[in-house]
Amino acid sequence: MLATEPTIDLKEHPIMLTLQDTISGNGFLARITMSGRTLMRREDDKWWMHGVRPAGITASGGNIEEAFLRFRNRYKEILFDIAQESHTFKDFASEVERFFNESDADNEDERQWECALAAIRSGASQPPTLFANLPRRSPETYPSFIKIERVDANANDVRLMPSDNVADSYAYSSPKAA
Amino acid sequence: MLDKCAPGHTIRRTTHARLVSFGTRVFRDLPKFDDIELGHIRKMARHFGIYDCAKQFGII
Repeated sequence: MLATEPTIDLKEHPIMLTLQDTISGNGFLARITMSGRTLMRREDDKWWMHGVRPAGITASGGNIEEAFLRFRNRYKEILFDIAQESHTFKDFASEVERFFNESDADNEDERQWECALAAIRSGASQPPTLFANLPRRSPETYPSFIKIERVDANANDVRLMPSDNVADSYAYSSPKAA
Repeated sequence: MLDKCAPGHTIRRTTHARLVSFGTRVFRDLPKFDDIELGHIRKMARHFGIYDCAKQFGII
């Protein structure tokens, strides 16, 4: 009979998310689509969704769904704030890109995200049942990115198609590379 | 805490939050209307690279 290695419960959970927003600015309409990374962990008797990309955002909830919804709402409000401060579409796009790409100075959440993914892939850890219903997604198949498009009447070379629509979603990082 | 750990920082209110700048970094997620929770302080401290300094104040 083969002995099996005991698995340990993960404390940090590598989550991937996809969000799309349409934001009105000063004389422009922008569509922002992003594929990001967050780290979920239990702290202070709450679930926290800490941003990894974008890094400078965090939100809590009584359960993982609430934490995601509050994170999602905060992300949208940050886009609103940037739109409020931007005189042109170019200013807006530049600041949204900076916000998305600016990592934490200590990179701790990103390091823990990578460690959690490695632990899952090694088989040493299993996601708890709380995350059982989340879809699984491979970071290799869904790399992080942000796309900022001008979509108003003054936009150049933009074709608006139903296939451009992206639903909000979040997923647990896949245990195997695709 | 910020005065000690992030000298020269600035804080201003946006429509939806408090925006904190320190050096070249910007943290846009300090709540303006909701309570500021420990998780927000921890995240801001990581974002600015001042976590060890902030811990000395016993709030995170």
